[in-house]
Order: sequence, then C-alpha cells, then structure tokens
Amino acid sequence: MTWKKMGMFSLIVLFSLFLVLPNLSLAQKEVKIGVILPLSGPLAPIGKSLKEGAELAADIVNKKYPGIGIPIAEWEGIPGLGGAKIKLIFSDSRGDPAWGAEQAKRLIEDEKVVGLMGAYQSAVTKTASVEAERAGIPFVNPDSTSPDLSKRGFKWFWRVTPHETWFTRDLFDFLDGLVAGKAQGVKAVPKSELEPLAVAAENTEWGAASLAEIEKFAKERGWKIAESFKYPHKATDLTSEARKLTASKAPTFLFASYVSDAILFIKALKEMKATPRLIWGQNAGFIQPDFWKTLGADVNGIVSRDVFSSVLGKVKPEADRINKIYKERSGFDFDGSSARDFIGVQVWAHALNAAKSTDPKALQKALNELHIPGKELIMPWKGVKFGSPFPGDTNQNELGSGIIIQYQGYPDGKPEIVFPFEMATSRLIYPFAGWK
Amino acid sequence: MGQLLTDIFFFNDRPRFERVGFLIFILIILIFPWIVTSAYGRAVAIKFLLFALFGLGWNLIGGYGGQVDLGQAKNVGFGAYATALMIVWWKVPFWLTIIPGMIIAAAESFAIAYPMFRLKGHYFAIATLCVALVWKELFIFWDWTGGARGVEIPIRSGADFVYMQFNSPIYYHYFIFFLFLLQFFFMNWFRKSKLGYAVQAVRDNEEAAASLGINVYRTKVVNYTITGGLGALGGSFMAVYYLYIDPDAVMPLDLSILIAMTVMVGGAGSIWGPIIGAAILIPLDMYLGAWLGAQKRLGIDFMVYAVIMMVIAAKEPRGIWGIIERKIKKETR
Repeated sequence: MTWKKMGMFSLIVLFSLFLVLPNLSLAQKEVKIGVILPLSGPLAPIGKSLKEGAELAADIVNKKYPGIGIPIAEWEGIPGLGGAKIKLIFSDSRGDPAWGAEQAKRLIEDEKVVGLMGAYQSAVTKTASVEAERAGIPFVNPDSTSPDLSKRGFKWFWRVTPHETWFTRDLFDFLDGLVAGKAQGVKAVPKSELEPLAVAAENTEWGAASLAEIEKFAKERGWKIAESFKYPHKATDLTSEARKLTASKAPTFLFASYVSDAILFIKALKEMKATPRLIWGQNAGFIQPDFWKTLGADVNGIVSRDVFSSVLGKVKPEADRINKIYKERSGFDFDGSSARDFIGVQVWAHALNAAKSTDPKALQKALNELHIPGKELIMPWKGVKFGSPFPGDTNQNELGSGIIIQYQGYPDGKPEIVFPFEMATSRLIYPFAGWK
Repeated sequence: MGQLLTDIFFFNDRPRFERVGFLIFILIILIFPWIVTSAYGRAVAIKFLLFALFGLGWNLIGGYGGQVDLGQAKNVGFGAYATALMIVWWKVPFWLTIIPGMIIAAAESFAIAYPMFRLKGHYFAIATLCVALVWKELFIFWDWTGGARGVEIPIRSGADFVYMQFNSPIYYHYFIFFLFLLQFFFMNWFRKSKLGYAVQAVRDNEEAAASLGINVYRTKVVNYTITGGLGALGGSFMAVYYLYIDPDAVMPLDLSILIAMTVMVGGAGSIWGPIIGAAILIPLDMYLGAWLGAQKRLGIDFMVYAVIMMVIAAKEPRGIWGIIERKIKKETR
C-alpha cells in the first residue's frame, strides 16, 4: 500500500520534471507561430475546424501545391526568409481568458514564437493579446469579432476579420432590403410582418457585444425589439429561454450563439412548434458542421451571417480548389470560421515574407503596410489591408465584408448566399417554412 | 504587544519539522524566479501562490470552521471588480482598492450569513453555491459593471508600483508572495486567537461549545464574514494581473470548486493544507493542460487530473497533510 502510494507520487514528480525540461529545438529552419484556440470544452468542435483551417494554410505555404492559383501555393516555405517553414504551435485556451493569457505567455517566452494567432472567443483574445502587447510581438486575430478588440489602440494587434458592427449593419441592410423588396424572388415584405425582433445572445463578451450592436442598430434604423436576453452558452437545457422567444410573439428571432446552445435552441423551438418568419444566426454556432449535421433538414430556411460559403467556388475557382483539399483532409467544406483561420496564416506568411526577418519591429512594419489583394483570398473580400474602417478602430482590416447565407435543401444542400442581394446564389426562402 | 507579534510570526506550537519545512518553502519561493527562467514555470508559480492564498482564506470556513462553502468565487469577484472598476472609473491607485474590495465582500458575506447559517451541512453548501451563482448572473446582467463584456484595465508601460503593472513576471511573483505572506501570518495569528479556538470548538461539537459559553451562531457569522473579506484579496490581484476581468473569469462555479478542492486535497483545517493542495493541483493542471491539451490526445489532461483527485479524496479524506502527519508521527514514535 505505502509502496504503491510512494510509487504513484514519484511517478507524478518524474512526469512533471520531464514536462518542465526545455524542448530541444530542431536545426531545420522554421518560423514558429503560436495559435491559441478553444480545443477542449463546449467549443472544441469549432476549435478543431479552426485548427484544421490554419494547418492547411501552413501546409500550402510550406509545400508546393501547383495549380491552385494563389502565390502562397507556389512557395516552399517563406521565400523572403530563405524558404523557412511555418510551424504552428497550438495551445488549448479552454475558453478561459485567464488560461488563454497563461498560454500566450508560455508561447511567447518559452516556445519563442515569432507571433501569435487566435483565439476565437473575444474574451480570450482580450487577455491573450494583452500579453503580446506587453511583450511587443505581433498578434494576428483572424477570428474574433467583438468590436472592442480593435478599439484599444494596441500597437501589436491586427484583426483580419470584419467585426460585429459591420455584420450587424449587414443584418439591418438585409432586413431593410427585405422590406424594400430587394431580395431575389421575394416580394417586398411589409415591415409589420418582421417586427418586432426577439434577440437571444450568449452571455460572454462576444454575445453581449453582439446584443449591444443589435440594440444600437435597431434604434438607429427604427426596428422594435420585443424581447432580448442573455443566456449561458454552456447550458444543457434552454427550454425556458426558447419559451421566452415564443412568448414574445416576435416573428423574427435573432441569435448570437455558440454551437451546442444553437442546437438546443432550434430543437426546443421545433418541439414548441414555434412559427417565426425569419431565424437569423450571428455566425459562430450557426455555421458549424456540427450544427447542420445534428439538425439535418431542420436547418433549412435558417439564415446566418457568414464570411465564407462553399458555393463561392462558383465565382472563385481558387476558393473551390482549396476547399477541395480541405474537404479531403477534414471531411467538411470550409465554413466561415475555418476559412478565416486559413487567412490568418496567409496574413502571417505574407507579413513574414515582406519583413524578410522575424524581428518584431520589422514584422510590425510589414503588417502595418500589408496589402493582400482580394483575388488571392478564399473570401469574397476586396483584400486585407489594415486601417480604421469604423470610428475608433486601429489595425482593423478595411477590405473585409460579410455575407448572409441560408441553409437550403439540407441534409444534402449547401449554404446559399442570399446577401449582399447582388451576390445571391439562390432565391431567398421566405417566410421560414416551419419544422416538420 | 510582544505576545501579539509572537502569535503572528512564530510557530512554537508546531513540531520542528514543520517550522523547518516552512523556512525551506519560503526560501524556494524567494529564489524560484531566478532558477526557473521559463515564463510558463513562473506563471505556474504565480498561479500556485494565488490559489494558496485563496485556499488559506477558504480554510477559515472550510477547514477550521468545518463548513463546506462552495461560493468563494463571489468574494474573489467582489475584490476583482472593486479593484478594476475603481482603477477604470477614478484612477484610484491599486493599493487603495484592496480594502474597499475586502470590505464589500465582508459586508455581503455578513448580510447573507444570518439567513444562511440557519442551514447546516449539505444545505449550507448548496446555499453558498446558489448565492455565488446569483451574484455571477447579476454581474453579467448589470451594465454598470461592464456586464458580460467585462472590465478592461488600460495597459501601462514599464514597472508601475502605483497600479501594480509590470512587464516582467518576477514583480508579480514577489507581489503575490507578499500578499500570500500577509494572509498566511494573519491565519497563523487567527488559529491561535480566541475566535480561532471558538471556531474550531464549534466545528468539533456545537453543543459542547455552546455549553462553554460560545455563541455558536455569532462565531459562524463572524468567521464567514472574515472568509469573505480574505477571498477578495486574491481577486484584486487577479484584476491587475490579467488586466481584463469578466464574470466568467472571476466568479465561475469552477473557481469556487477549485478553491475548495485545493484545501481538501492538501488537508483542510491545517495551516499547511492549502499550500500543499495548491502546490499539487495547480502545476499538475497547468502542465497537463499545456502539454496534453493541444495534442491529438485532447481531454486526457482533464481525465488524469480527475483521477488523481478522486484517488486522493477516496484514500485519504484528511488530504495530503494527513498522510504526511501520520508518517512523521510513526517515525518519531
């Protein structure tokens, strides 16, 4: 008994010693980028797809992929650094801001990464980017959308994705467009048919910021909100929250949800035989493979804001080619999250190439001056260039844009683009047909 | 006066090996950042000291008081929010925000202690847990506290001793160690004070304590109030250490449980227990999480962690300190 206990403890001690030992670095020339993502917990499915998006981009930079049609596919490593390979060092954020900060420290000081990327959840990005700012190394954020992040005046923080102000403006352009009869195949919808709105937002930084933006724009554009509340996204039951939505008698439901909560909401609403005319999701959970895989045909008619859709391949052959490789590797099409982390690595590759050095100051300059034209991206964006698109923004990509997709013909369908109206790949299904 | 100082700084009632052990511990912590240059190692040490600090505070109610309190996170939150909001709103120096935070936490604990101590055992534990969850929801709901978006303290460059912001973790290391020692010596005084003995007597047998003239109800309430105040101290540190707090970061249920867990694993009711518990659980969690957390073996870190905790809880309810004490007693017999 005693020996057993002693044995166990010495094992633990040995184990921890082994872990503390410094990692031996390889002689091969490589550039380390630290990537912080939610790889465990309720957001693990999202984290996994983000990781695969980033890994594919690193692979495309490191190896020759002939025939894709974008410059990084012709590279074998970073040309400006003598062919040095990009090595991504992943770290789990656990979705915990404090934990994310500790991991950022570890990546910066111990792993000696050249820069950081991540961290998806805005609250984690907030603390992790503070560590980068203090250490004076670049943090490229491709995937967090809380407007606050780019309003802090940081000198070592660059955001590639458009943020919530942008997307919420898109939502209200979409709603106003419906009223004005701009949507393809749908006659002008009387405003009274869509009003009032009911909003459910998860209760961390991102959801709260989304809700605030929706409330702000609703006021500006004259849309009434009948019900709005925050809920915990880790909840295992959201029936009473769903009932709040139906009780509000609002015909339009807006969600800012992560994946498991988005699924719970739709299931609960289906059970209650709710009859909204429009369901809109604020990206995140509403575009995850797990969302449409779990719900199958029940997703048909739901719209979500997004930044990418695999149907883009019709107009962007490069996106289609890269998406095919991604699908081979991961089993899924790119979605708005994984595609953004792909671009995150792409931004890193171009910045490193332009800086011709891994010196933080040189990288800072390269990122500030970076310009990637839209044709090299898998996104329907005009490109990547950092500036101040909204008042107060610093180092925010000015050339991004959002789309709104609608699930059509699932389980075998594709997310069709329904907004911007001139980019629409399919007719909008309106009103929402209800669940069978 | 002399007696008071002795009570605070001396451990004459404890066996020699404990006193020597404590000196060695202090020495290790003092030289730690100079031996370990890894940033993560230093971060682990800081988090260890933070949780040892939390544990010392919780030990008051959970160990000496024998009441299972699963709501300490609310007090951490009060401290963190008091510091963060006072710095953001009025630019109050960090050192002046500690006391208000502790007072708020203590006042809240005092107010809810009266109805709560009508409950005993599991019911008390559930009540503490609920109160903490309600506070978390309130902080998410309220706009004046920043709501779910939290509070961000602006970064200052260089070493700032007024707002306690540093680029180097070494400063934070000694800063948290200082707070830890403050609380540690307070606890050392407390356990030998009249109130400390009363608290322990109430834990062991309420009727017997009452028959000796101890006001059981009052003792519990005072004890709970002090525990609340002590919890806020670590919260204030978290605010300036992470520079961003939200209800999810400083008031979660996980935090309440982890605080209780460190003390129970280490040995509740002993002054060394929280330190031992934190010294085991925090590095274990952080290293397992960092090295296994991003590999293909996702989630293994949580499993290993849980198994170790279960083994300790099942095999030795008095915690690691219980094992050590028994061993030493056997040898000296």
